[in-house]
Amino acid sequence: MNTMNKIAKEYTNMSIKKDHIKLSIPNRPEYVSVIRLTVAAIANRMGFDIEKIEDFKVAIAEACTNAITHGKHLKDDNFNIEFIVEDEKLTIYVQDNGKGYSAEKLESPDLNNLREGGLGVFIIKSLMDEVDIVSELGRGTTIKMSKYLGDDFQ
Amino acid sequence: MSLSIVKNFDFEKGLWNIQLNGEVDVYTAGQLKETFISLLEEKKESIKIDASELEYIDSTGLGVLIGILKRLKQDNKNIIIINIKPSIKKLLNITGLDKIFVIEG
Repeated sequence: MNTMNKIAKEYTNMSIKKDHIKLSIPNRPEYVSVIRLTVAAIANRMGFDIEKIEDFKVAIAEACTNAITHGKHLKDDNFNIEFIVEDEKLTIYVQDNGKGYSAEKLESPDLNNLREGGLGVFIIKSLMDEVDIVSELGRGTTIKMSKYLGDDFQ
Repeated sequence: MSLSIVKNFDFEKGLWNIQLNGEVDVYTAGQLKETFISLLEEKKESIKIDASELEYIDSTGLGVLIGILKRLKQDNKNIIIINIKPSIKKLLNITGLDKIFVIEG
């Protein structure tokens, strides 16, 4: 999609209907597989191919893992997921009310000095077309990620 | 779907044969870590993972493998992964971990 088309499209999008799906999920690891099945069903219905559906499953699981592990650690609390379904694009917000973290701490993996954690956000950025992370210490984190149906946006 | 792990030691080749069936995520990664640690306590030898029935893995599982590989490398041992599905191979490629583990088949 070239820039002009994209601008034109975003302009027309103002009148195009967007479908919203909202979920509130317990802060517990056993629910992450439920989220993977949910995103696979939504992406499949939209017409994404198997490879992109797998990308969504991994990316959303990474975001949920972050929400659960960096979140409040309160197992009876919940975090929120919102799906915005458009004709050519699926956008997902994963939002926790946890501790938040400083975005500068996020780095690419250093293969000479591998740590056991820290790969998640790097993986999300690699698999999705657009990623935006808003995190504030003490105020939680929202990870926004989008992927387009076509191959023309990379 | 959860995770099941089949393990046996190959005395001829002197390495662990591990078959992973199912999904490794934040829920099952702890089970994988415990299994690998108990293997290494029994025999600190290279681990060959058959991933033909591994449907899903993410950074939580990859983190476990990285941690185990660090321990093995102290004794010049390795993690070998065989029969990887394309979606998982893609993940190893983008993280560069395909250069850290021995990938076969």
